Amino acid sequence: MAKLTGHLDFRAVPRADGQTVLKDQSFRAPFHLSKPYWDSEARILIVQVVNPTAGILAGDELDVRIEVERGAALIVTTPGASRVFTMRHGAAVARQQISVADGAWLEWIPEPLVTHRESTFRQITRLELGASAAVFYADQWMPGRLGHGEAWAWRQLELLLEVRQANRLVLCERMAASGPELRSIAALHGSGPEACFLNAVLAGPALGPTEGTWRNELERLQQPGIWIGVSSLAGQAAWTLKVVTENARRLRETVRAIRAALAPHLPYLATDLRKL
Amino acid sequence: MNSAPATGIEEIPAWLPGLLQTCDSAYPTGGYAHSGGLEGLVQAGVVRDAASLGRHLQEIILPALRQVDLPLAAQAWRALARPDWERVGELCFLSSALRPARELRLAAENTGRQRVELLAHLHPDSLATAFHAEAVRGRWPGAHPIAAALEGRLWGAPEQAVLVSLGYSTLAASLAAAMKLLRIGQNAAQGLLTTALRQLPEAITTARQLRDPEMGWFNPWLEIASARHESADHRMFIS
Repeated sequence: MAKLTGHLDFRAVPRADGQTVLKDQSFRAPFHLSKPYWDSEARILIVQVVNPTAGILAGDELDVRIEVERGAALIVTTPGASRVFTMRHGAAVARQQISVADGAWLEWIPEPLVTHRESTFRQITRLELGASAAVFYADQWMPGRLGHGEAWAWRQLELLLEVRQANRLVLCERMAASGPELRSIAALHGSGPEACFLNAVLAGPALGPTEGTWRNELERLQQPGIWIGVSSLAGQAAWTLKVVTENARRLRETVRAIRAALAPHLPYLATDLRKL
Repeated sequence: MNSAPATGIEEIPAWLPGLLQTCDSAYPTGGYAHSGGLEGLVQAGVVRDAASLGRHLQEIILPALRQVDLPLAAQAWRALARPDWERVGELCFLSSALRPARELRLAAENTGRQRVELLAHLHPDSLATAFHAEAVRGRWPGAHPIAAALEGRLWGAPEQAVLVSLGYSTLAASLAAAMKLLRIGQNAAQGLLTTALRQLPEAITTARQLRDPEMGWFNPWLEIASARHESADHRMFIS
């Protein structure tokens, strides 16, 4: 199969009546945007990014540039997992540049990344936040095709996440490991052979004054089989949220519980993501 | 004929005593109050004996050194040669950004700041006082690997020696904390330290070649344990 050089660009802007719409949208396979859905009750635009091809293949280069402007409210998600297929040679790379202006809201919550055996994938995400931007940015990933009994078999997975808030670098995280390396660390921490992950960034002025309340609620989600922790980043009103669960089902349940716990403080998280 | 007896002292690098001073547990950096996240992992039941502590050193501490503190110190040592203050400040901010969990970040910031203040006191009118002035002016966060590079520059130590010193200090501090948290004896701790020190040169070789985008280490369990340690009911260490 031929390698793809795909892109997805758009700006989310508020119209005069307050409804968020997409401007200057442009995409090329493997990306496809289905018609965005305006949730008039929640007053937020939901964008489903669809990959109409089988998944990510060797040589693919994917570029995403998204801007969320002041007054806009946007959810970006995917209908299904993003699969990174087996690669005999080569690698695939995704570069994501996301900016959220002061007074804007973005929830970024694609379904989990699934890395197949002998795949090599690099994802570089640069998230730029205005000082008062509000976000729930969440990457999820699974250790392989668990339904097929295949796990921790990828060659190299590198997930780089850089966050700047008001132009200051507040987070620079780099997960780079082969499947066996991460399996060994998961085993050391007792997370089992099907451990799944969520790595999220939370930001928003509304979260600061109520931190004690919502942190307690999130930390109470920890139980046997679920690790969860929240800690403030170097910037203002920004946090890292990390979750490790023993399997994919518990990851889904935990993500739902996190959104519900945060919704009183970040009301857009009460929005139904419109998935089956 | 030379009447002075040969002592051999002239063969010892002039920087060696200074670096030994910075590695001493009596050197007041505040490091003794931190476990580097180990207490959180002990509370979570992950590190519970010598075997799991050994794996913690091999799979968590050494890779974190290789990917974060050692490359930061190497880059800072090079930037301090001229010195390139803009680059040094950038590395201080990067040091903080590479530590998502608040306790681990504050530990690096506070011990780094304390080390620079101590150096400015011990070496007046030196690179240390210039560093301190630049840090205050630029509102740089403290950064203990950058402070280690500064110590090396003040003593005229080569880059590799600075990295060995930093690596040794980190591993020894982890084991000192472990001996307070676990039922593990001095001999067992020294055995683990010996094993880890044998692997330190390889970590240093890799760290010296890393560029900024290649720095960084990810361990969600350590970050989570550290985050939960922030609100733990009982704790012995600040981090």
